[in-house]
Amino acid sequence: MNFVLGTALLAVVTALACALPGTFIVLRKNSMLVDAISHAVLPGIVVGYFFTQDLESPLLIVGAALAGLVVAVGSEWLGRTGLLTGDAPQGLVFPALFSAGVILVTAKFANVHLDTHAVLVGDLNLAAWEQLTVGGVSIGPTYLYVMLAVLALNCAFLGAGYSRLKVTTFDPQFAGSLGIRVGLVNTAFMFVVSLTVTAAFHAAGAILVIALMIVPPATAYLLSRRLPVLFALTAVIAAGGALAGFWIAYELDAATSAGMAVFYGLVFVVGYLGTRIEQRRRHRLHAVRAVSTAQSAS
Amino acid sequence: MTSASARRDGEFACVARNLSVAYRAEPVLRNVDLFVPRGVVMGVVGPNGAGKSTLIKAMLGLVKPLTGRTEFFGLPLARVRQRVGYMPQSATVDWDFPTTVQDVVLMGTYGSLGWLRRPGRAERARAMAAMEQTGIADLASRQIGELSGGQRQRVFLARTLVQSPDLYFMDEPFQGVDAKSQQAIVAVLHALREQGKTVVIVHHDLVTVREYCDHVTLLNQRVVSSGPAAESFTKENIRTAYDVAADDDSFLEFVS
Ligand SMILES: Nc1ncnc2c1ncn2[C@@H]1O[C@H](COP(=O)(O)OP(=O)(O)OP(=O)(O)O)[C@@H](O)[C@H]1O
Ligand SMILES: [Mg+2]
Repeated sequence: MNFVLGTALLAVVTALACALPGTFIVLRKNSMLVDAISHAVLPGIVVGYFFTQDLESPLLIVGAALAGLVVAVGSEWLGRTGLLTGDAPQGLVFPALFSAGVILVTAKFANVHLDTHAVLVGDLNLAAWEQLTVGGVSIGPTYLYVMLAVLALNCAFLGAGYSRLKVTTFDPQFAGSLGIRVGLVNTAFMFVVSLTVTAAFHAAGAILVIALMIVPPATAYLLSRRLPVLFALTAVIAAGGALAGFWIAYELDAATSAGMAVFYGLVFVVGYLGTRIEQRRRHRLHAVRAVSTAQSAS
Repeated sequence: MTSASARRDGEFACVARNLSVAYRAEPVLRNVDLFVPRGVVMGVVGPNGAGKSTLIKAMLGLVKPLTGRTEFFGLPLARVRQRVGYMPQSATVDWDFPTTVQDVVLMGTYGSLGWLRRPGRAERARAMAAMEQTGIADLASRQIGELSGGQRQRVFLARTLVQSPDLYFMDEPFQGVDAKSQQAIVAVLHALREQGKTVVIVHHDLVTVREYCDHVTLLNQRVVSSGPAAESFTKENIRTAYDVAADDDSFLEFVS
């Protein structure tokens, strides 16, 4: 497969894998948790690398994702004890873990080949470097298949858990009274998010993965108040934005994830302005109609 | 438990024994016993902070009691989950959630569907019937946040009805509901009773308690009285539950 095509496909698949679970993160108003997890998985990744010597190893991804999950659940628990208020646990625990990861990387622990730059924003081109060959023919980057597997897992999870995720997000107390294990659903969802963040780390880094997860569904949320439509719009924005961002980065020779994040930001602003203008127009139309009916009545 | 008492428990839709609950150091419920016979509408009545909502939550396992246990139809809750419905006092829902009235009412069917099954035509028909009973059928495709307070309350009533359990717990179902809709809903509850279902409502309007409920439990941290309305919902008991002196009960004129 052509390198540019493979990398573009990787960008799209990564964007979709991140954005689809992102829909429920936006609905759960949980965005900062993603940020927290994306920071917390870094030491997990470095330590995992020590054992596997391969950033794309499923073992490393699952291990680091579990570490991220434990930290997320732990900080939630810390918050519940009431010793720290609000999101203080996230401010306390995650930067420390992230810094530990950065120190490990700079100290070249385990000969990990990550520069701090890639830790922050990822490097899609590097991620797409290693090609998978079948019978001597390249069928695209190995990492593309890793992300495809994550995408498939996310689709399966969202498909099977759709009703439960919906009702536990909308009304957890009622879900509990139906006999749904709300805590279990939450933890399973957080694990999927953690896994996605870890897998996407190579492509998007610790800082930008949150943009890939949050901005497309947040934009879709501006445009629709129907859940199925929300999912469809999220997918379209994520895939379209990934291609456009890839192209911007390609032209400017910049980091692909940064190009995607910038483009997503633009789409969000356009979506926001568009809905505001539409609202304004509709109000004015109503006002005009009200005046004209009042006039014709008199 | 002897087989005789097991059979006796079968006569009750729900039996709670010796429930005590504390959120902090001070218990808010002390050694509460509650027997709800089958096929009645029972009113749970008491002042604000009496522990009415807490009692229901503790029975349904939504709050962990310090002591005591509850059985439904002679069985622990886990085995009869489908037969018990709950409508919380004020739904702690996310009003911005992208979902319609019909969708929310359909959530009442989720308990009987498995992981993979989605609500189908039969479920939608049941949801529509419940929305008609509570008078919100014309709002079916509205976004849930675009409703008035009373309309929202009727959505959650419809969601509880669509579960069609054998035992309903409704925590202040008429909060903010206008008189006409309230009459219509009470008629629905009484129709359920005729079908042999059991309804427990928390109710604040002392004037209508007699009219709506067959049985009354007066609660204030402990059970003041519980039984058929004529026996338990007396001036004397109400005074005790609401902590008022005998000469200060002008608000009790309506009780014979
Ligand atoms: N989550 C909570 N944490 C701490 N205390 C609580 C909590 N919920 C209720 N309480 C306390 O427990 C007591 C009983 O509350 P509950 O909600 O059961 O009262 P209620 O009888 O339903 O009152 P109302 O008529 O106002 O609905 C109150 O004193 C209340 O302050
Ligand atoms: Mg209450």
